[in-house]
Amino acid sequence: MLLNKKMYRNINIYIPLTVIVLIIIGFFAISSAVEINRIGSNGIIYLQKQVIATLTGIFIVIFIQFFDYRVFKEYYKLIFWTMIITLFMTRMYGVNISGGRRWLDLGFINFQPSELSKIALILVLASVLDRKNEFDSIIDLILPFLYFLIPFSLIVVENDLGTALVLLAILIIMLYVAGVNKKFLYVFFGGGFLTIIAVIASHLYFNTPLPFLKEYQLNRLVAFINPGIDPRGIGYNIIQSKIALGSGRFFGKGLFDGTQNQLNFLPEKHTDFIFSVIGEEFGFIGIFIIIALYVFLFWQLFKVVLEAKDNFGKLVVSGIIAMFFFHVVENIGMTMGVMPITGIPLPFISYGGTSMVVSLIAIGIVLNINIRKKKLHF
Amino acid sequence: MEDKIRIFKIVLLIVFILLVVRAFQLQVLDGDYYYNLSEGNRTSFRPISAPRGKIIDRNGEIMVNNKLSHNLYLLPNEIPPQVSIDAVLKNIANYTSLTYANLLENYNLSKDNINNQGAFILKRNIKKEDMVILLENNNELPGVLVKESSIRDYVYGDLAAHLIGYVGEINKEELRYYSEQSIYSYHVQDMLGKSGLEKEYEEYLKGIDGVRQVEVNNLGEFVQELGVKDPVPGHNIVLNIDLKFQQKVERILESHIERLIIEAQEDDERCEPIGGSAIILNPNNGKILAMSSYPNFNLNTFTTGLSEEDYLKLSSDSRRPMLDRNIMVSVPPGSLFKLVTGTAAIKYLNVKAETEFNDPNGLFYIPGWSRPFRNWHEGGEGSMDFTKALARSNNIIFYKLGYNLYQEYRGEKLVETAINYGLSQKTNIDLPGEKKGRVPEEGLSSNSKSWNPGDSVNLSIGQGDLLTTPIQMANYISAIANRGTLFRPYILDEIVNFEGEVIFNQKSEVLHELDYDNRLYNILHQGMEEVTMSSYGTARSTFRDFPIEVSGKTGTAQTSIEDFSHGWFGGFAPSDDPEIVVLVFLENGSSSTYTLPIAGDIIKEYFDVNIEQEEKRDEVANTTTEDGQGAEQTNEKEENSNSNLFEYIRDVFSSKEEESN
Repeated sequence: MLLNKKMYRNINIYIPLTVIVLIIIGFFAISSAVEINRIGSNGIIYLQKQVIATLTGIFIVIFIQFFDYRVFKEYYKLIFWTMIITLFMTRMYGVNISGGRRWLDLGFINFQPSELSKIALILVLASVLDRKNEFDSIIDLILPFLYFLIPFSLIVVENDLGTALVLLAILIIMLYVAGVNKKFLYVFFGGGFLTIIAVIASHLYFNTPLPFLKEYQLNRLVAFINPGIDPRGIGYNIIQSKIALGSGRFFGKGLFDGTQNQLNFLPEKHTDFIFSVIGEEFGFIGIFIIIALYVFLFWQLFKVVLEAKDNFGKLVVSGIIAMFFFHVVENIGMTMGVMPITGIPLPFISYGGTSMVVSLIAIGIVLNINIRKKKLHF
Repeated sequence: MEDKIRIFKIVLLIVFILLVVRAFQLQVLDGDYYYNLSEGNRTSFRPISAPRGKIIDRNGEIMVNNKLSHNLYLLPNEIPPQVSIDAVLKNIANYTSLTYANLLENYNLSKDNINNQGAFILKRNIKKEDMVILLENNNELPGVLVKESSIRDYVYGDLAAHLIGYVGEINKEELRYYSEQSIYSYHVQDMLGKSGLEKEYEEYLKGIDGVRQVEVNNLGEFVQELGVKDPVPGHNIVLNIDLKFQQKVERILESHIERLIIEAQEDDERCEPIGGSAIILNPNNGKILAMSSYPNFNLNTFTTGLSEEDYLKLSSDSRRPMLDRNIMVSVPPGSLFKLVTGTAAIKYLNVKAETEFNDPNGLFYIPGWSRPFRNWHEGGEGSMDFTKALARSNNIIFYKLGYNLYQEYRGEKLVETAINYGLSQKTNIDLPGEKKGRVPEEGLSSNSKSWNPGDSVNLSIGQGDLLTTPIQMANYISAIANRGTLFRPYILDEIVNFEGEVIFNQKSEVLHELDYDNRLYNILHQGMEEVTMSSYGTARSTFRDFPIEVSGKTGTAQTSIEDFSHGWFGGFAPSDDPEIVVLVFLENGSSSTYTLPIAGDIIKEYFDVNIEQEEKRDEVANTTTEDGQGAEQTNEKEENSNSNLFEYIRDVFSSKEEESN
C-alpha cells in the first residue's frame, strides 16, 4: 500500500468538511421535499437511500486513497474502453426511466453509467493531454477530441443532454488549462455554438428536422426564453421554481413550511429542483450560505490544483472543478430562470445515489492528489 | 498554468456573484410579489353567494322574495396543471346546453375584473338539467363548481312594478363605477337593482358574498380548509306600503283605464287614455300607502336577465309600460294649479271666501289685447264668490286674479307661491328617476321684460310654461290638507338586518313649512269641499252622495298637442281630519271627470266601505254604462278650452309687435 502517515498531514481538511456540511443540508432539504413530516409519508425511504449512497461514497473515498492516482494515467485506455462498453450496454439493455435509457440494472442497484462517464472522461483527457506539451497545431487536438467525441455521441444518442453538456464543459476547461492555443478554442466552440443556434432557429422558423434534440428539449429552450408562453405547460417548471425561490424572501418560510414544495407545485423537487426547496424554506440567507459553501469548496480545489505534484494531477482536479462548476451553475441557474432546464443534479444535495457516489469519487480523487502533493521547500 | 487558474477563478467568482445577485433580485427585491403568487397558488376561493334582502310591506307581508338557483363557477387553482382551462370549458359545453363561445366570453370578462378572488363565474342561474348533469359528471370536470345561489322572486308579478323596480345583470359601466367608489363586492354577472326600490336601496339589499378558502395542491386537489367567511344576507326593507291596499288600488286603476279605453273607442269625442297613476299618502307624515302606475309589467321577466324578445316587447310598446307615471312624467297641472293661484290671491289680494266675482260672458280680455281668454263653460256663469269659483273651476275669475296679481306684482307672487308648494323641485321621494318639472322662474324677477300679462293670466289656470309630476301634485295637496307642511314623501319605513335588528328607521322629514295663516287654509278647504259636496262642484258626480266627506280639486290640462289633455284629481279625506291624500292622473284622459270614479273607489277601499255593496255598485254601473256615461258627460265636459292656448300664443306675438311699434 502506498499510504503512509505523513500523507494524512497533507490533507486539506476543509474539503471533506465542506462536502459533509453540504450533504447534511441536502438531507434536510430532501426530507422536506419528500414530505417526511407528513403522516403516512414514505419519504423516509428516500432519506435512507441517500444516507446509504453517502456512506458507500465515503467508503469509496477512503478506498481510493490507498492507490496513487497516477495509476489512472497508466490504465487510461482500459478506463476509456470500459466506459464505452458500459455506455453501449446501457443503450442496449438499459432500463428506461423518465424519457431516457440511462440506467443499468445491476440486480441490487440501478446504476447510471453516464454519471460515471464524467469522471472517466476527466481521467482519460488528463492522461491524453498530459502526454503532449505543445498544442499549436490542429493535429495535436485530434486525439483528445476523439476521446471526447465517442462518449459524447453515445450520451447524446441516449438523450441525456445535461450530461453531454457537462462533458463539453469538462473538455473546454481542460483544454484551456492544458494550454491549448486559444484560437482553436474560439474557432471550435464559438463555431459549434453558432451552428447549434442556426440549427435551432432553422427548426423554429422553417421547420427543418432537428438532429439529436427532442421536441421536449426544444420546448425547454423556448420556455426558458419566454416562460409565460404556456404557464400550465412548458413554462410550468420555470414559473413554479421562481415562485418557490422568490416567495422564500429573506428568511425563508421555514423547514417543512414551503407551500410550493409541500403542496407539490414544484416539479422534481427532491432531485433537480432541490435548490428551489432550499430557497423557499431557508430564504436568501440559505441560498447565500449554500453558494458561499460551494465557492469555498472551489477555492480549496483550486489550491489542490496549484499544489499538485504533476501536470496530470492538475489536469484531473481542473476537470473535476469544471464538472462541479457546470453542475452547480446550471442547476442553480435553471431554478432561478437564468439557465434553460436540463436534468442535472446539484452535487451533494440533490437526491440520487449515482450522483452522490460519483461526486464523492471525484472528491476522493481530489483528496488522493491532495495528500500526494509536492513537498514544500522553505 | 497559474495564470489560467487565476482567470478560471475570476470567471467562477463572477458567475457565482451573478447568481447571488439573481437570488437577491428574486427573493428580496421581488420577494413579496412571488410570495403573493405562492399564496395565490395554494389557495382556491369557493364563493358562497349571499341572498338579496327581502321587500316587506307594512304588515309584514313579503312582496319580494328569493328562490333557489344554481351558479356555475370555474376555479382555476383546482384544475390540474396538465388540463387547460380551454379544455374544461369545452368539456362543460359538451355536457350542457351552454356554448363554448359563451363560456369563454364570460370567463374572460370575469378574469378581467379586479374584484375577482380566483373564482370565475361562467353562468348565473343555470338550468336544472345542466345542473344535474354537471354534478353527475363532477369527476370529469375538475375545477368546475356548481353552487347554490338565489334569484329574485317577485311574488306578485306585476304588483307595484314601478315602485319595486327590477334587477338586472351588472354592466361594465356599473362595475367600473363601483370600483371607482372603492366598493369591491361586485362581480361579473352579479344582479343589481336597476330601477325603483331595488335600485334606491341597492346598497342595503345587496348582501356580501361569503367565501370558503381552501388549500389545494398542484393537482388542484383539496388539501384542507383554510377558513370560511360566511355570507351576509342583504338587509330586508320594510315599506309604508300596504300590500292588500296596493293590490286593490292597482285593480281599480287598471279596470277603470281599460273601461275608459273601450268607451273611448265607441265615442269619437273622447280620447283613449294611454295610462295613469294613483298615489295615496298620509298627509300627516308623508308616508306613501300605495302608489301605482298603469300600464305595468311583470317583474319576473327580469329575474334571470331580460330576454331580447321581452325587451323588444316592452321597449316598443307605445303605451310605455316601463314608465312610472307617478314620478317620471312632468305635465301641465291644469286647474289643479288653481289652489296655488287661490293661495296667492288670498294672501296678496286679500281675497276672502265670500269675495264676489263675475263671469258675464265666458270671456276675459287683457286690456289692449284683441283676443279673449275663454272659460271651459261657454256663455258666462254669472256672479259667484271665491269658493264657488274654485268649485266651478271658473277660468274667467282665475284669469282676473292672475291679471290682478300681475298688476300688483307682475309674475313674482304667483311663481313664488308655486315654488313654495314644492313645484319645480324634486320631492326627494325614495325612488330613482324623479323628474323635477318646471315653473316659469323668469316671472320672479320684477323687472323682467320677458314676462307679460298673458304669462300670468295663463299661469293662473295651470297652463303656460309649467310642468309638474303627479308626486309633486300629491305632495302639494297634502300640504294644503295638513295646513302648511310640505313633507318629503317616502316609501321605506325601516331597514332590518337578517338577524331581525332594525338598523335604520326612516323618520318623516319636512321639506318646507309654509307660513300661511289658518284662515287661508280654511278658505281653500271650503272651496275644495264645494268641489265635491256642493250641487255645482266639478267633482260632485262621484262625491256628493259619498259615504265619506272628501275634499278635492279637479284639473284638465292641455298640452301643446291638440286634443291631448290629461285628467287630474287631487283630494283628501275625511275633510275635517285628513287621513289620506289621493291623487289620480290620467294621461290623455280627455277630462278630469274620468279620474273621479277611480279616486272614489280608492277612497272607499281605504275606508273599507262595505265592499260587497261596492261590488254591487260596480255591477250596476256596468249594466247602466250608457246612462251613467251620458250623465257624466253632460255634467262635466268641462275645461276644454284648447283654443285658448293657440289664441294666447298669437296674442303674445301680436302684443310684442305692438310694443315694438
